[in-house]
Amino acid sequence: MSGVAPIQRFSRFGAMTWAGLLGPFRVLARERQLLGLLVRRDIIGRTRGTVLGWVWMLAQPALQVVAFWFLLDFVLRLRVPGKVAFIDYFLTAMLPWLFISDTLNRCLSVLTEFSSLYKRTVFPLKVLPLLPGLSGCLVYTPIYAATMGLLAGPGAAVQAVLLMTGLLVLLMPACYLLAVLGCFVKDLRQAFPFTLNMLLYLTPILYLPEMLPQEFRELLVVNPLADVMAVFESWIHGLPVTAGNFIRPLLLWLLSLGPAWVLFHRGEPHIREAV
Amino acid sequence: MTAILLHNVAKSYRSYDHPWETLWEVFTKTRCHREWTALHPLSLEIAHGEVVGIVGTNGAGKSTLLKLIAGTLTPSAGDIRVNGHVAALLELGAGFHPDMTGRENVYLGASVMGLSSERVDRLYDGIVEFAGLGEFMDQPVKTYSSGMYMRLAFAVATAADPDVLILDEALSVGDGAFARKSFERIIGYKDAGKTILFCSHSLYQVEAICSRVLWLDHGRLVMDGEPARVVSAYAEFLGGGGEGCGTPDQPAPAAVAGSGVGRLTKVEVEADGVEGRKLTVRSGQTDLTVAVGFASDPALPPPSVGLTITGSNGWAVTSASTSNDGLTISRRPDGSGEVELSFPRFPLLKGAYWVNVFLLCEQGIHLYDRIEHAAELEVVQDGLEQGVVSLPRRWSVNGAPASAVSPTVPTVAAR
Repeated sequence: MSGVAPIQRFSRFGAMTWAGLLGPFRVLARERQLLGLLVRRDIIGRTRGTVLGWVWMLAQPALQVVAFWFLLDFVLRLRVPGKVAFIDYFLTAMLPWLFISDTLNRCLSVLTEFSSLYKRTVFPLKVLPLLPGLSGCLVYTPIYAATMGLLAGPGAAVQAVLLMTGLLVLLMPACYLLAVLGCFVKDLRQAFPFTLNMLLYLTPILYLPEMLPQEFRELLVVNPLADVMAVFESWIHGLPVTAGNFIRPLLLWLLSLGPAWVLFHRGEPHIREAV
Repeated sequence: MTAILLHNVAKSYRSYDHPWETLWEVFTKTRCHREWTALHPLSLEIAHGEVVGIVGTNGAGKSTLLKLIAGTLTPSAGDIRVNGHVAALLELGAGFHPDMTGRENVYLGASVMGLSSERVDRLYDGIVEFAGLGEFMDQPVKTYSSGMYMRLAFAVATAADPDVLILDEALSVGDGAFARKSFERIIGYKDAGKTILFCSHSLYQVEAICSRVLWLDHGRLVMDGEPARVVSAYAEFLGGGGEGCGTPDQPAPAAVAGSGVGRLTKVEVEADGVEGRKLTVRSGQTDLTVAVGFASDPALPPPSVGLTITGSNGWAVTSASTSNDGLTISRRPDGSGEVELSFPRFPLLKGAYWVNVFLLCEQGIHLYDRIEHAAELEVVQDGLEQGVVSLPRRWSVNGAPASAVSPTVPTVAAR
C-alpha cells in the first residue's frame, strides 16, 4: 500500500505536466484568431496617441539599453576580460531580460486589464496569460534579431529568433502562474517590481559571472535566469556553457508546467467573481 | 427536441475576506468563504423553439439563471446541457474592449462566439448595416454612446443566427427605429423556431411573446407554465405593484415622446364633453372619451393604440387596444392619425383612476411611446354598490324578469 501512493502521485503529476505542456499550445491553436486580434490591438494600443507611433516600440527598449550602456560603459567604465566586447555581451542578455520582465510584469495584471472582455461573456480565459508573452515576443524579437545580426552576423539573427521563441515557451508556466496569482494575491503586484529588480541584479546581465564575489557566485546556481543568459551568450558569442545551464531551467520548467496549468484551471471559475 | 437541460443546477456566490483566500481554498480545500445561495437546485427542460420568459423580483435569481445557461457562470452543483449555438446579451457592452474600434470589436466578439474570420467577413456588412454605425466603425467603442454600444452588441450577438438566444432585460434595445428593428429580429427568431430566453420586468411583453414563463423568487422556481397563468399569479404576488394587464411597466414621466418610428402627439380625455387632466366622472352615467393623436413612420405598418385604466394602487383595472380588438388604424400619407375611444356610461365604481395611453407596433407588442397618467378620474356614484366595476346584469324574481331599480345599473343582458 505504501508503495502505491507515491506511484499514483507521480503518475498524477505526470498527467498534470502533460496537460500543462499541451494546454497552452492547444489554446494557441484553437484561439489563434482571437489571440491575433488581441495581440495586434495590444501592440497598437501601447503607442496610440503618440506622435512617433510604432517607432516607440523600438525606441523604448533601445532607450533603456542606452541608459544602462551609458552608466556601465561611460560612467563606471566597466571593462570585461575576454574576446567579447562588453557592449555585445550586455546587449545579448539585456534585450531578452527586457522581454522577460515586461512579460512577467504584465501577466500579473492581465486578467484585470482585460476584465471587460470576460466578466459577462463566455470567453476563453486561458488565452489571456499568453497575450503579454506573445505581444512582447513580437516586439522584442525583431529588435533582438536585428541587433544580434549587426553584432555577430546574419547567423546570429536567426539564432536570436530561435532563442526568443524558446524563451517564450519557457515563460509559459510562469505566465499562467503569475496571471492567477496576480488576480487573487494583490500584494504580489506591489512587491513584484522589487523582485524583478533583484533578479536583474542577481543575473549576470550587467556584469560577467566571473565578476561576482565568490560568496555570491553560488547564487547563480539557484537563479534559472542566470542559466538562461549563459545559454544565450553561448549561442550568440560562443561563451562557455555547462550542462547545468540547460538542465536547471528545463527541469524547473518541467516541474512548473503542471502546477501552473492546474492552478489556473482551478482558479478559473472564481476569476470572474474575483474581478 | 431538448435545447436546454438543467439537472439540479444550483448557484451559490462566495465571498472572502481577502482575495488570496480563494486560492488558498482551491489549494488546500479548506473552507474560507461565506456563501449565499442565488439559485436553489433547479431542474428544467426547454425544448427547441420555446420562448421562455423569466419573471421575478430583483434578487430572484433571473440573471444568475441566464448567466449559468449562457456559460458565464459555473454552477455550484448540477449539470447544464445546451444544444446548439448560444448567443447571449447579458449586459451593456459586455465583451467589448473599450480601446478597440467598432470593427475590431465585431471581429473580437464574433471570434469569442466561435466564428471564423471568413464568416465574420461575410457577416460584417450586415452587422454594420443593422447597427447603423457605418461611419463610427473605425472609432474606439469607448467613444460610443450607450445606445451605440448596445446596438453594436445586439447586432453582433444576433448576426450569427444562434440556435439559442439569451437576453437579459434587452428585449428591444436602443431607441426609436433601432428598438423596432431589434424587436423585429427577435420576433423573427421566434418565428424561425429558435429558442429564446429572456428575463424582463415587463409582464406585458412576457405574456405577449413567450410560450412559457418561469417565475423565480429568492432563487427558487415558484411556477413554470403558460404565460397567462404564471403572469397572472406573479402579478397577484406583486400585489399593489402588479402590472399584468397590459401596461409596459417602466416608471415614466408624465409624457415621454419616443423618437424615430412613432410618437403620441395628442391625448385628450373628456367626460361628457368636458376635457381636462382631472375629471369627475359619474359612475354609470358619464360618457368618457379618449382622443389620441399620433405620428408614425409611414414606411412602417400602422401602429396600434392601447389604453389602460389603473386604480390608485397601481392595478390595471381594464385595458383596450386596437390590435387586440382587431382594428387596423388608417393614417394620413405622412403617417399621422387620430383615434377616439369611448366608454359610454362609464361602468367603474367610486374611486380614483388613472388613464394611460400607449402607442405600439401593429402587433401591439413593441412600445413606441406612452403617456402615463394622461388624466385622473375621480369616479363618484349615487348608490352603495361596492367593488370597482358595475357589471351589466339581469335579475329575475320568481322566474320572471325584474326591472332594474338602481339608476346606475341599466337592464342590459349580460353578453
